[in-house]
Amino acid sequence: MKKILSVMIILALVLSLAACGNNEEASGSMEIKEDGKITIWAWDPNFNIAIMEEAKARFADMYPDMEIEIVDYAKGDLEQKLHTNLASGVTTGLPDIVLIEDYNAQMYLQSYPGSFADLTGKIPHNDFVDYKTELMTLDSKVYGVPFDSGVAGFYYRSDVLAEAGYGAADLENITWDDYIKIAQDVKDKTGTAMLAFDPNDGGLMRIMMQSAGQWYTDAEGNPSLATNKALIEAVEVYREIANSDWIKPTSGWGEWVGAFNSGDTASVITGVWITGSVKAEASQSGQWAVAPVPRLNVEGSKNASNLGGSSWYVLDSSENKGAAVEFLKETYGKDVDFYQKILVDRGAVGSFKPSQTGSAYSEADPFFNGQKVYADFSKWMAEIPAISFGTYTYEADAAIFANMGEVYNGGSIEDALKKAEEQLKSQIQ
Amino acid sequence: MNKVKKRGLEKAYQKSGWSFISIAVVMVLVFNIYPIVNSLMLSTMTGKGVVMRFNGLGNIKRLFVDTVFQTALKNTFTFFIIQVPIMILLSLIIASMLNEPKTKFKSLFRTAIFLPCVTSLVAYSVLFRSMFSFDGIINKFLLSIHIIADPIPWLLDPFWAKVTIILAITWRWTGYNMIFYLAGLQNIDPSIYEAARIDGASKFKQFTKITVPMLKPVILFTTIMSTIGTLQLFDEVVNLTGGGPGNSTLTLSQYIYNLSFVFTPNYGYAATISYVIVFIVAVLAIIQFKIGGSKDE
Repeated sequence: MKKILSVMIILALVLSLAACGNNEEASGSMEIKEDGKITIWAWDPNFNIAIMEEAKARFADMYPDMEIEIVDYAKGDLEQKLHTNLASGVTTGLPDIVLIEDYNAQMYLQSYPGSFADLTGKIPHNDFVDYKTELMTLDSKVYGVPFDSGVAGFYYRSDVLAEAGYGAADLENITWDDYIKIAQDVKDKTGTAMLAFDPNDGGLMRIMMQSAGQWYTDAEGNPSLATNKALIEAVEVYREIANSDWIKPTSGWGEWVGAFNSGDTASVITGVWITGSVKAEASQSGQWAVAPVPRLNVEGSKNASNLGGSSWYVLDSSENKGAAVEFLKETYGKDVDFYQKILVDRGAVGSFKPSQTGSAYSEADPFFNGQKVYADFSKWMAEIPAISFGTYTYEADAAIFANMGEVYNGGSIEDALKKAEEQLKSQIQ
Repeated sequence: MNKVKKRGLEKAYQKSGWSFISIAVVMVLVFNIYPIVNSLMLSTMTGKGVVMRFNGLGNIKRLFVDTVFQTALKNTFTFFIIQVPIMILLSLIIASMLNEPKTKFKSLFRTAIFLPCVTSLVAYSVLFRSMFSFDGIINKFLLSIHIIADPIPWLLDPFWAKVTIILAITWRWTGYNMIFYLAGLQNIDPSIYEAARIDGASKFKQFTKITVPMLKPVILFTTIMSTIGTLQLFDEVVNLTGGGPGNSTLTLSQYIYNLSFVFTPNYGYAATISYVIVFIVAVLAIIQFKIGGSKDE
């Protein structure tokens, strides 16, 4: 009796194990299943997720039976899951829509051909800013829906700068040399550090390079470090900043945001997506202003640049591809009012050209003492040099910062960049 | 007649024995052996993501010119050579101190020193990160008791970042090894120590001439475990220093992770580096076995 029972139990367990394996369905056609489900992966609950929730609410008016699930991951975790699922070839764990940072766009498109849905002609790409559509194009096919722009600004505490004798007019169209002089002055006259600086973070370096129309790789994708004039100057500026007494050394996101929230630093130069974090310190309302980013001395450098920014991509294996594309088209590709709302609520500067003439973009923001910050950002966004990010951004960043230690200690910049270029070349397959 | 019956019985035993373990063997083959063989084949390929091509020994050649790999190797070895001996010695000393009959509050100390081992690797790394930040608790404390004049850039300087990692790992794992030694010490007859004391041996002599030799097998075991653990170091470096300023605390495991999930994915090359770790662990284990000399006691 016991024997029969144990055999039955084992059989039941084995059968349930066999049933666990799902059958893969063939990738869906483009028809819209009105009662289907769309799964979306993104990071940052205060920004990307919140904005997607707004889009979801608007789409629900048009397709009330559609179920949309937005899953929040940490950025690193999302990328890890995406890689694992795409590399394994098993598509059941993949979402329908995923957020991908612009620096990584080409890397995903080239590493996993056929994994992302070709959206050429399905989304009005001509209505989006050029530099965004270019970075998601491979072999003349456009793959994503552009989302936020990382248009950069020089955020500063107008009260602290005023104490040191600087007004808004003094900060328009300055160079990085000017910025360093101003920073030293501010520290000497007010005792406040000017910038929270992480000597191992390449954010500012990317802002500097893109402002001069350059990148770690040239237009053909070959490494361009040792002879890259913009990069050489950027590294020099980094050395000067790192060795100055007007910075607050920080490490990691939390400390960096904490530095300007607490008033320990008087400025932050980064993408417009920092607005939410700046505004998080309500007690500083009315004391901030935004100026154009400083430019390099190198020829061709502008007072406009970009840091980060991401876009939405549809997975080709999605069972509800049609609905996913329709969703993105109706919200991100059409709804001008949607863009006004996310601008006011989250400080999200979209790259959808028709939305930029909307009302919110010309409003005066009381937090920034009445400055029409979004009108300014839109103006600067139009000036951002369009470049190709290539597929090796993070490798190049790692290669450069592996050698920055010597530079900070007074070593030769040419040697450091030559070593970095050697390292980058060996990474390229 | 009997012999035939015996052989038949043996055959029946053999058959039923094999059929019982066949399920387990199949599972081991599928979930253990197959991935190992597959990753060996993967290490001969290179490329971007799923777009891979055969590369033969090319990945191994690349190891010799890859400066990042060499840095990671150097860092991993530095951690291994400095941290493992310090931790083993510390655990031994603490264990023998806790083994003394005269020690008060033994269980309190034992629990306190073992408690770090049950903490989550990520949780404690994140906490250490905020404690060792430029204006974190550690610096504030050291400044207040005037041991240092300027705050130490724990996480911003290549040397201090390595020190921080070593401190973190030692704090985390000393208790674990201590428990093994405590258990081993229970097997040493206290009369040996009594005899030594009567003969006039100092505590230090007792420690080196009695405790250590008698604990040899346990020490060998913990050393190999610690070696393997430190060579595969990942959680602490990723969460505490993120690979450190520049690549100064980058370990081999983190480099494998970077090659798969942070940089443009090159799974073949990542597999090659994981085999490097296997090779190093094997070599070190053999060396340690030879030194430990377990066979001829």
